[in-house]
Amino acid sequence: MMRQIGFRATGMKWACGVLLGCLLFGVGCGRPVAVPGVERYDFRDTRNLLRWVYEASQVLEKDGLATMEAQFAGGGDDAGSYLYVYDMDGNCLFHGGMPELEMKNLSTVTDIDDKPILQLVHEALSDPKNPHGWIHYTWWRPGKFYPVPKSSCHFQVTLPDGREVFVGGGLDFPHEEREFVRIAVDSAVRLIEEKGEAAFDKIDDPASPYQYRDVRVFAFQPGVEMQISPVLGDTRLGMDLADCEDEVGHKPFGRAMEQLENESLSWQIFTAKSRGSRHLKKKILYLRKTELNGAPLYVGAITDLPQTP
Amino acid sequence: MPPKYEYSVNEVPPFRHLIVLSLQHVFLMFVSVSLPVIFAGQINASVEFTTALVTFSMLAAGIGSILQAIRTRFIGSGYLCPNVCGPSYFSLSLSAMWMGGMPLMRGMIIIAGLMEVALAPVVQKLKHIFPNYVVGLVVALVGVSVINPSVTSMFGLAFQGDGISPVVVSVGFLTLAVMVLCNVWGKGIVKMYCLLIGMLAGWVVGLLVLPEARHALSAVGDAAWFAWPRMPWKVGKLAFDPKLLLPFMVIGISGSLKSLGNLLAAQHLSEPDLKEPDFKPIRNGLMADGLSTVLAGLLGGLAVDTSSSNIGLAGSTKVLSRWLAVAAGVIFILLAFFPKFTVLMSQMPRPVLGAAILFAGCFMIVTGLQEMLAGEWEVRRTFVVGIALFLGLSTAFQPGLYARAPRVIQAFFTDPLPTATILAVLLNQIVNLDRTWASLRRRWAGPSA
Repeated sequence: MMRQIGFRATGMKWACGVLLGCLLFGVGCGRPVAVPGVERYDFRDTRNLLRWVYEASQVLEKDGLATMEAQFAGGGDDAGSYLYVYDMDGNCLFHGGMPELEMKNLSTVTDIDDKPILQLVHEALSDPKNPHGWIHYTWWRPGKFYPVPKSSCHFQVTLPDGREVFVGGGLDFPHEEREFVRIAVDSAVRLIEEKGEAAFDKIDDPASPYQYRDVRVFAFQPGVEMQISPVLGDTRLGMDLADCEDEVGHKPFGRAMEQLENESLSWQIFTAKSRGSRHLKKKILYLRKTELNGAPLYVGAITDLPQTP
Repeated sequence: MPPKYEYSVNEVPPFRHLIVLSLQHVFLMFVSVSLPVIFAGQINASVEFTTALVTFSMLAAGIGSILQAIRTRFIGSGYLCPNVCGPSYFSLSLSAMWMGGMPLMRGMIIIAGLMEVALAPVVQKLKHIFPNYVVGLVVALVGVSVINPSVTSMFGLAFQGDGISPVVVSVGFLTLAVMVLCNVWGKGIVKMYCLLIGMLAGWVVGLLVLPEARHALSAVGDAAWFAWPRMPWKVGKLAFDPKLLLPFMVIGISGSLKSLGNLLAAQHLSEPDLKEPDFKPIRNGLMADGLSTVLAGLLGGLAVDTSSSNIGLAGSTKVLSRWLAVAAGVIFILLAFFPKFTVLMSQMPRPVLGAAILFAGCFMIVTGLQEMLAGEWEVRRTFVVGIALFLGLSTAFQPGLYARAPRVIQAFFTDPLPTATILAVLLNQIVNLDRTWASLRRRWAGPSA
């Protein structure tokens, strides 16, 4: 039954060659950068971008702007990604993708939805709920003419000469991360707790960081008032979210509100129909509970759940 | 002339070979353990619930593998055809879980299992509608059905549309290269253990070059060495919902068809001298598969299914001994009591698992094609195979097309394997209607002549 054991000589050489080649290739490619909090992101693209921008911020802080051109010009891991550096007044100091923007002041530039991009960066950098300075907006690809959705992360850096700048980089057509929704809702809760009802105008503004792509932060007081509807720009048409069901009869709002009796936050997965797919699409609701005028106020948002391949 | 087998279907390998060869199958079976983990993640389950779901899924799969390998009058095919958590049940089980929690999910899994049990006796009547070339097509499609999980895993994809790292891909290809090299140029135990050697080599390299692989190992330290399985749900509390009855019955039929393909493939590999399929062991295998699914529902694990990858591995190593499935089942059951080992095995890098499935799938596809093309070919077969392949594979290439189709079409055009199987069987009957008619006329004319 058992015959000769082992390899023919040529086979052995082949095996060793392939093993060694792959090992060297792998070791050569694998140089990870440890970024605090990177594990919060589901997608590799997002993690890679974050590592890249964080690495650039470390280099920038240590060696200054002169190193940017040499080390970070051109694209990163994801095709289409590049780095940029601005001072806190909005002057572009370095732009890996659009060098023609360097030395220009872009502090008042808005995107196609009127989002004030650099103002959003400032807000993100000062928001304790947004440790990686994420903003969501539309931009365009170098040499192209159509708007593309973009999510960018930013880090504030003090240069060796003492100047305060920020470095950032983005993903075109980004993945919808759960962390993005967490940031938007937690920031909205913080704003409501600081400003009360005055916060709703800002949260309901399409140019604010609380609305991006298909995501919008909403707020409601069950039985009292719908401050910002999850489905309409108008709140006059009433709907009892706690009783709303998904495609398989699950009540995500009802269950989340039950959970929030004892916990500070709730994630609820539910299903929705999707055109062009026979399978139901999985989505996720993130809901927080706070108070407004002595009554409980629920603040939340919905995003897509990563789909298995 | 090379031998047909290293170990034939009824042969019992020496103990140490039995253990190592079974471990090879256990490694491949562990691919499916990620399913209960993902399932628990999608319902935000507690650690206790996740552990219980993994444990009872493993117990059901282990017992199912043993049931499948034994050979009694009514249960068990007697082939090396282990059970694993069935991915086809995943989405529906999740829906049941959301609608009615564990009682409903368990109840509906039991229904799906009973559906398979009810279908098992019908299979014996199918003897005349499965000519060898259709069996070959089915076997090839069993291999085709693992293309998606193997390739996406080999490229390290955890989610649709995510980025691909060249380092991850290189680990996958390295693993595959080692397996192929060991299988092609290796002899004796190197050839027999080719998958194990490849997986271990890939895992070691993965640990060297993939930071996430090293990070994942930290979970092993937190796991207990030994733990009795604990049920966070009440055994007797079951629920059923008429709204889910039809979808679970359809998935039960689909599961039966997939297992039919797997069992035909296992039979073809284990008993290549059979002139035509022997449907008695196939029927008993389907019975074992259905009962394992019922057991999974009773225990509180995810529904189980026969594993195409393990049959491919058996073909590639020429080790067909059914006792491997018994030993692999026992190891799977034992591992359910040792969380540290379970966690360790489940941390194997994704591209390594992907390479293993791809490796095993190659043998299924080629074995099926050889069987299909053996013998005299005629133009009728061209249309049976061609049309079945075109429409069957279109469910994978164009899933959106069928999403808008009428419900009847949606029910039958699900995945390449069941769709192409049904079509091939139907078309074979249609293109041979003249022969069937002639044969009937001869039979009718016979007695009076």
